[in-house]
Amino acid sequence: MKLFEYEGAELFRLEGISVPHSSVVSTPQEAKEKASKIGLPVVIKAQVLTGGRYLAGGVRTAETLDEVEQVTSHILGSRIKDMPVEKVLITGKLDVEKEYYLAITVDSYRGTPVAIVSSSGGVGVNQAANEKPASVVTRPISMINGFSLQQARKICREVGIKGKEAASVAEVLYSLYNVFRDYDALLVEINPLVRTRSGKFMAVDSKIELDDSGLYRHPDLGFDKNSRIYNKLERKSKDVGVTYVELDGDIAIIASGAGLGMASMDIINKDMNAANFLETGGGITEELLYNVMDLVLSKEGIKAILINVYGGINPIHEGAKGVVRYMRDHNITMPVVAKALGNRQEETWEIFKSQGVHVGDGVSTESAVELLAKVLKETK
Amino acid sequence: MSILLNKDTKVMVQGITGRTGRVQTMWMLEYGTNIVAGCTPGKGGQEVEGVPVYDTIAECVEKRGAEASLFFVPPPAFKQAAYETIDAGIKLIVVVTEHLPVHDVMEIKEYAHDKDVQLIGPTTPGVITVGEAKMGIMPGNMFNPGRIGIISRSGTLSYETSINLATGGYGQSTVVGIGADPVVFTSLPELLKMYEEDNDTDLVVIVGEVGGIQEEKAAEYIDRWMTKPVVAYIAGLNTPEGKKMGHAGAIIQGDGKGTPQSKIAALREVGVDIAKYPAGVVDLVRQHLG
Repeated sequence: MKLFEYEGAELFRLEGISVPHSSVVSTPQEAKEKASKIGLPVVIKAQVLTGGRYLAGGVRTAETLDEVEQVTSHILGSRIKDMPVEKVLITGKLDVEKEYYLAITVDSYRGTPVAIVSSSGGVGVNQAANEKPASVVTRPISMINGFSLQQARKICREVGIKGKEAASVAEVLYSLYNVFRDYDALLVEINPLVRTRSGKFMAVDSKIELDDSGLYRHPDLGFDKNSRIYNKLERKSKDVGVTYVELDGDIAIIASGAGLGMASMDIINKDMNAANFLETGGGITEELLYNVMDLVLSKEGIKAILINVYGGINPIHEGAKGVVRYMRDHNITMPVVAKALGNRQEETWEIFKSQGVHVGDGVSTESAVELLAKVLKETK
Repeated sequence: MSILLNKDTKVMVQGITGRTGRVQTMWMLEYGTNIVAGCTPGKGGQEVEGVPVYDTIAECVEKRGAEASLFFVPPPAFKQAAYETIDAGIKLIVVVTEHLPVHDVMEIKEYAHDKDVQLIGPTTPGVITVGEAKMGIMPGNMFNPGRIGIISRSGTLSYETSINLATGGYGQSTVVGIGADPVVFTSLPELLKMYEEDNDTDLVVIVGEVGGIQEEKAAEYIDRWMTKPVVAYIAGLNTPEGKKMGHAGAIIQGDGKGTPQSKIAALREVGVDIAKYPAGVVDLVRQHLG
């Protein structure tokens, strides 16, 4: 789960990382009030769960209260990378002398956290990494031994930060690792960490992604994961308890595993268009597939459904009961094709066939998709 | 013996008294797996499908000689159970559990590496050495004995690939689900190494998917070390950026990493034939093995 900048800044503050004085608002009127409290000029920043907002015009400076109102109402009405901007953060403008980039993230392949420090932060950090690789240092961190202030200082010196400055940046890096560990994060990033003219170090932006699988350990955070999903059907799928991704076609997919779902999508898209990706994981019950049928048919214009399930951990015969019950209850007459293999497959086929679901005799997903295309053609 | 597991391996099941543990123990015994013990704290003295249940892992090792352990342990109990299992001297741990916190996986991966213990998973269907034994949740009737090794990031696609191969008259030596999380305990190159050294395997099929760099690292390994042929299928050709496709590890990040195109290019570059769709693997295998 990605956090908004203002939520991340709050976690930074809790771990002792200084952040600029700021307020999050959702109307231009509020923006004016807060800006006059913080003191002009202010920076107004769109709160969206994606990068690149600076280039998209989502970060602007305002010198007067009228400008604050204008800019805020403009940003609040906009979308950045197709995400609606519902809140903006108003912060005081800092007198910046120097910018750094600090991050702790997961090196997925090696399976270890890594600290990344660059002596040139800000919007151009990627460019700096490409042009001057020595200005970026990446070091693994042991999960068992932890991360010490001494290690943090060493990394800062390796990237060329000197003396007292290195000690100050290292303290922030050390605290950043605590944010990473304490909240089960996959990424914590400060870009930029600035040194102001008065010698203070402040995290001017925050980028945090928490591990969905670790959220159960942090009920106190109170972040609502589902409210961050902007697609209506994708949000509904979370209540159903499956993974759903809306696509732009008209052939619905119900698969019992992620790989199988992706393969189904690939094969359908060869000559037709998939309406969605959907995978149930290992939790199939009669009720679940009843609800899943309802979910995929909530999208308009569905022409046919492909059901692709394996009975390994899943009782697919139970799932089949849910599908046929839904078809009976809602008088579904569009083509439904099922490929169901594994434990209790014969029983599952009988249940499907009882309601006119087409069950092919091939074992490949390709053969099931071919059958679907054929049935679709015949019903036209 | 193929890799990791055979009919003599003394297997224990953790979480054996749970609903999934019970059902899967029944299927595994039916398949021929040598399950010697089960462990659920507080349930010692019971039996599941005739398998004695103990309170501690140490008892399973001392009294029953357990060498390998299958985890149906819920996420909050995982880390402690893993430490206890490693410390008890178990050398192979297969973690079926889904939704483990990545921090716990990283910590145990580091600890297991120090102690020279092999873990597979998490979020894996498990390991099956066909015709001998299975540690996991895969349906046994999808597999036929043969000389092809399969490494799959997806459980369901490992079944699909196996049953597809059967239509071409091919069977499998050992099939391993590498796990669908962003961080997995054993990497694709490590598994390739085991197959390369295995006398019962002639060819390896990689079933990859979007996300991460396992396939790219596999390509590097194949280039340097593999003498046996490798063919592959990569799922998720049409994956939209930034969407998690069911598996926590199956995501194309904004930086363009983890695309199927990058994986396909890396593998092709080192001579690995790629099937565009899953059943195409059968034709590629035929080209190599006749």
